[in-house]
Amino acid sequence: MNLKVGIPRGLLFYRFYHLWKTFLEELGLEVVVSPPTNKLIVQRGLTYGVEEICFPVKVFLGHVLSLKDRVDFLFVPRMVSFYKGEYNCPKILGLPDLVRNLFGVSPERLIDGEVNVREAGIRGWRRGFLELGKKWEKSEKKILRALEKAENAHRFYRKELKKGFFPENLIDQKPLYAPREKKVLLLGHTYLTSDSYINMNVVQKIHSLGYGVITQDMVEEQKVRDYLRFVRKPSFWTISNEIIGTALAYLVEKDPSVKGYIHMVSFECGPDSLVGELIERWIKRERDTVPYLRLEIDEHTGEAGLVTRLEAFVDMMEWRHAQRESNLSSSFAS
Amino acid sequence: MKATFPHLLHLDVALGILYPLLGIEIVPPPPITQKTIEIGVKLAPQNACFPLKVTLGNFIEGIEQGADTLFMAGGVGPCRFGYYGQIQRLILEDLGYDVQFVLIDHPRYGMKAFLDALRSMAGGKIASLRVIKAASLAWKVLRFTEDLEAQRRALRCQVEKKEDLDRIIDGAIERLRNIESVDDFSIIRKEAEEALASLVRRAHQEDLIKVGIVGEVYVAQETRINFNVERILGDLGVYVHNSVSTVEYVLHTLPLLRSREKLEAWEMARPYLKRFVGGEGIDSVGSAVRYAKKGFDGVVHLYPFTCMPEIVAKGILSTVSKDYNLPILHLAIDEHSGEAGLVTRVEAFVDVLERRKKRRSVTEVDVSWISS
Repeated sequence: MNLKVGIPRGLLFYRFYHLWKTFLEELGLEVVVSPPTNKLIVQRGLTYGVEEICFPVKVFLGHVLSLKDRVDFLFVPRMVSFYKGEYNCPKILGLPDLVRNLFGVSPERLIDGEVNVREAGIRGWRRGFLELGKKWEKSEKKILRALEKAENAHRFYRKELKKGFFPENLIDQKPLYAPREKKVLLLGHTYLTSDSYINMNVVQKIHSLGYGVITQDMVEEQKVRDYLRFVRKPSFWTISNEIIGTALAYLVEKDPSVKGYIHMVSFECGPDSLVGELIERWIKRERDTVPYLRLEIDEHTGEAGLVTRLEAFVDMMEWRHAQRESNLSSSFAS
Repeated sequence: MKATFPHLLHLDVALGILYPLLGIEIVPPPPITQKTIEIGVKLAPQNACFPLKVTLGNFIEGIEQGADTLFMAGGVGPCRFGYYGQIQRLILEDLGYDVQFVLIDHPRYGMKAFLDALRSMAGGKIASLRVIKAASLAWKVLRFTEDLEAQRRALRCQVEKKEDLDRIIDGAIERLRNIESVDDFSIIRKEAEEALASLVRRAHQEDLIKVGIVGEVYVAQETRINFNVERILGDLGVYVHNSVSTVEYVLHTLPLLRSREKLEAWEMARPYLKRFVGGEGIDSVGSAVRYAKKGFDGVVHLYPFTCMPEIVAKGILSTVSKDYNLPILHLAIDEHSGEAGLVTRVEAFVDVLERRKKRRSVTEVDVSWISS
C-alpha cells in the first residue's frame, strides 16, 4: 500500500494544489486532501488556533486537524516566496512551525521544505522541491522529473483559470455559472474568494443578483505585472501585488462590462489592511469611477449581513449606471 | 527645510543632536499623547497596526509645529512596517498637506531615489567627515539612553527611593538634548553613572522576581503607548530586562555587529521557529528561550494587536512556555487597550510568579533537608 500524504485545503491550496498533487503522486504517494471547509473544521480551527491569528490560518489549522491522524505525512511546505524579490506574509512563512508547535506533529511526519525564489529565483524553486521530495526519493533526477510534470499540471490549471473557471470548477468539478453581461471584479486572496464555505457562497450570491464575477486569477499575469509598475513602490507580498496590479488594470482600462469592485479581506489580515486602503484611495481619486465595496470576513461574519451588503451594493451599481445613462442622454440632447 | 520624524522612545534625543550638526533644522513632533493617538487612529486604516497610527499622529503634529519635510524609513518586508511610508504619504496627500516626504527605502526601488533620500537626510553630502562625526556622536547618545533605560528597569525594584532614580535618569536625558560635543556627552555620562552607583539599595536582592520583555520593537520600547509596563513591574518589586532595543534593530541588517545576546537568541529560537518571519518574530521566540535558560521567572510579550510576525511568535511561544515551564503574559496593544485592565493583568501575572517562586524555594529546602 502506498504511503499517504495529506494536503490541508487552505491558504495556498487553491494556488498550488495541482502542482503539489502531481509532484507527490509522481513520487509514488497517495494524496489525501481534507474535505471542503465545513462547520466542524472551522470550529476546530478556532479552538486549536491562536485567537488573534487571521481567519484563513485558523481554517487551515482546522484542516490540519481533520487530516493529521489519517495520513502518514502532512504536507505543509514553507512557501517563503514564489516570485522573485517578493515574499509571502509572515504567517505563511511560519506556518510549518505553527503546525509543528500547536499540534506536536513530529518532524519526520511534517514535510516542511522551504521553497524560496526571493533571491535565488528558479534555483530556489528547484532546491525547495528537491528538499521536499528527498524524503521519499533519493534520485535527484527523478524528483526533478516529477517536478517538471507537476509544473505542467500547474501551468494547465492556471491557464484554465484565465479562461474564466473558478478553482472549485477544476478541483471539485462543480458546474460553471452561466455567463453574465454585467460583471463585478472580485479582488482578494484566493483562499477567501474560492472557499465557498468561508465566503458564504459569495460568487453564487453575486451571480443570483445578476452579475458575473471576474477574479484576479482570471487576468493575464503579464498584464497584472505591467500595471503594477504604475505604483511607486509595489508591496513585497506576491498575492497583494497581484491584487494591486489587477485593481489598477481595471481602474485604468475601464472595462465597460465591469460595474463595480469588491475587495474581500479577512479582518485580521495584515497585508489586506494596507493594500485595501491603497486601492480604496485610488478608486476614490478617479473621477469617473464605479462603486467599491470592502467585504470583511471572519468567523463572526453573518450570512444575513453579507446578503444585505451585497444587495445594497448591487442597488448602488444599478443606480450609478442609470445616472450615467441619463447624463449621457441629456448631454446628447443639448 | 524644517524636518520632522516619528518618535521611538529617546530616538528624538539622538536625532536632535544629529540634525543640527548636519545643518538641518528640525521640528521634533510633540511627545506622544492621547491626542497623537487620536489623530492617527482617525486618519489611518482601521486594521493597520498601531505603530502606523501613532507615527502618523507624530507626522501631523510635527506639521502643525511647522515642519515641511518628513523623514521616514522603509523596508522590503515581509512585515508591514516597510509599507507604512507609502500609506502615510497617500493619506497626507489626500488631506492636502503640502509637505516633502523623504522616504529612505531599499535601493531596489531606485538607486537614485535612495541616494537622494540619504543625501537630504544627511544634509547634502553623504560621506563627509562632518556627517561621520555627527552620526557617531548621535549613535553614542542613542546607546547611552538605552543603557540608562536598562539601568532604570534593573534598579527600580532595588533602590530605596524610586524618585531619585527617575530624577537622575530623566535629568541626564534632558541634559543630553543640549550637548554640542563628545566632551559634553562624556561629562553627562560620568555624572549619571556616579549618581546611579551611589543610590541606596535595599537588602535582600537575591530572591527578586525576574521578568524579561520580548516583542515588537516599537511597542515593547515605547513606554508612552505600552502604559509603561516596565514601571508597573518595577513598582511591584520585579527586576525587568528588555530584550528589545533600537540599536539592535538598526544592527539587525548587519549580523557582524550584533550583540552576542541577539545572536544567541536567534540560535535558541531555531528548534521552535526555523527561519526569519519578519519583524522581531524570531527574536521574541529566541529571547524567551534565553530568559528561561537564564533563570528568569516569567516573560512579558508586548506587540501591536494583529502584528503578523508577533502572532506567529505567540503561537509558538505556547510551546516554549510548556517546555521550560515559563509563564508568559501576552499583551497586545492598540488604541482600545485600557490602562486599568492592563495593570490588573500585570498584577495577577506577578502574583502567579511570586507564588511559584515561593513554592519552588520551599521544595528546594525540602530536598536539601532529606539529602542531608
